[in-house]
Amino acid sequence: MDIKISEVKLSEEQAGKWGLVIDQDICTGCQACVAACAMENNLSFVGEEDSGYGRSMHWIRIERFWEGEYPEVKMTPNQPMMCQQCGSAPCEPVCPVFATVHSEAEQLNLQVYNRCVGTRYCANNCPYQVRSFNWRDYERPEPLPNQLNPDVTVRRRGVMEKCTFCIQRIHQAQDQAKAEGREVVDGEFTTACAQACPASAIIFGRVDDPESLVSQLGRRSHGVKHLEELGTLPNVTYFKGG
Amino acid sequence: MFKRLFDWLIQPLGLIAVGIAVLAVFSLAAYGINYTQQPPEQPIQFPHKTHAAFGVQCLYCHPGAAKGPSAGIPAQAKCWACHQQIAKTQTSVLLAPLKQAVESGTPIEWVPVAMVPDFVQFNHRAHVAAGQNCENCHGDMTKVTVAQNPQVFNMGWCLNCHVKSAGDDQEKLVKLSDCGTCHY
Repeated sequence: MDIKISEVKLSEEQAGKWGLVIDQDICTGCQACVAACAMENNLSFVGEEDSGYGRSMHWIRIERFWEGEYPEVKMTPNQPMMCQQCGSAPCEPVCPVFATVHSEAEQLNLQVYNRCVGTRYCANNCPYQVRSFNWRDYERPEPLPNQLNPDVTVRRRGVMEKCTFCIQRIHQAQDQAKAEGREVVDGEFTTACAQACPASAIIFGRVDDPESLVSQLGRRSHGVKHLEELGTLPNVTYFKGG
Repeated sequence: MFKRLFDWLIQPLGLIAVGIAVLAVFSLAAYGINYTQQPPEQPIQFPHKTHAAFGVQCLYCHPGAAKGPSAGIPAQAKCWACHQQIAKTQTSVLLAPLKQAVESGTPIEWVPVAMVPDFVQFNHRAHVAAGQNCENCHGDMTKVTVAQNPQVFNMGWCLNCHVKSAGDDQEKLVKLSDCGTCHY
């Protein structure tokens, strides 16, 4: 079998497809996105002991920083951090089994669970520290298995996982649109974190469509892409102090 | 100690023992392979061939295949819609579990036959919309009694068809050979 993929573009030219815009000024740090993400994507409940070892599993987390010396400390705006779906991702070239690959169709970083052998190389090479590893098969006591999302794989011990931009919702929306013979409309669906955000601090959509809400918001001048200087071409834009 | 064991093994009785051991291993392996190829036991020996012969369409009982990811296995209400009008249903021994399920209101626990692993996200709708017929993957149901798989659903088999159906369309090929199309 021979598969010919069209020539891979230079990383500088590669345009993202899906993206997030996060307004840190209106984020209250309520953690609703963290909970919604865990429910949507079948995240394991790691528990106190393993969390103590730094093995907690979240695909999105709220980062807090402090400025100044005690007692004059000031908290900076909350910073939700998830996989930035880099256009040129540092996690990809280090995987020895190609379990983390770039999706040409959706321009996302995929984690293929059935390929992953658990070297944890990708997590160590991720500058955003957003990958989490299944150190154990964590227990899901009854009736918790009933809330598992059937559209998402339940990961087992020894595989890496990370935010997928709710690729199951992307596929569902595309499938729905195709069945109805139309294109996916901007705002028709969104990720679990964006859906749960009570302040609408997280907005999801097409970054390659100049008319979409994310593109319009993304053009505001004070937008920041984290660690852009590393050349990772992240697809998440942050706004702070605007 | 090993020498004594070897000496015992090369005498006629020892050779018979070796022969029996080899035979036991082989027959166990043969049984194991055969066992995995058997369709699972169903609560009712549902004759697909009889129903197909009456002209019942696949989508009548498995309507989900045209609408969404899962084709679905019908509930007894669907069976009963036809079967309550058939006199034989009341007397047949084979149909007794159906009659009992309807009367007591307990669901019939069918065992799924065609399954993909948990890490594969399969969508029937897309395949039906792409013009695939049921028998391309599930085999000719007009010939079997209890559903069985004509082939192993593995990735090489899926991808073969994906690449073939994409043809020269590069955009389609990228989509159909993308890991994220099925694995997430």
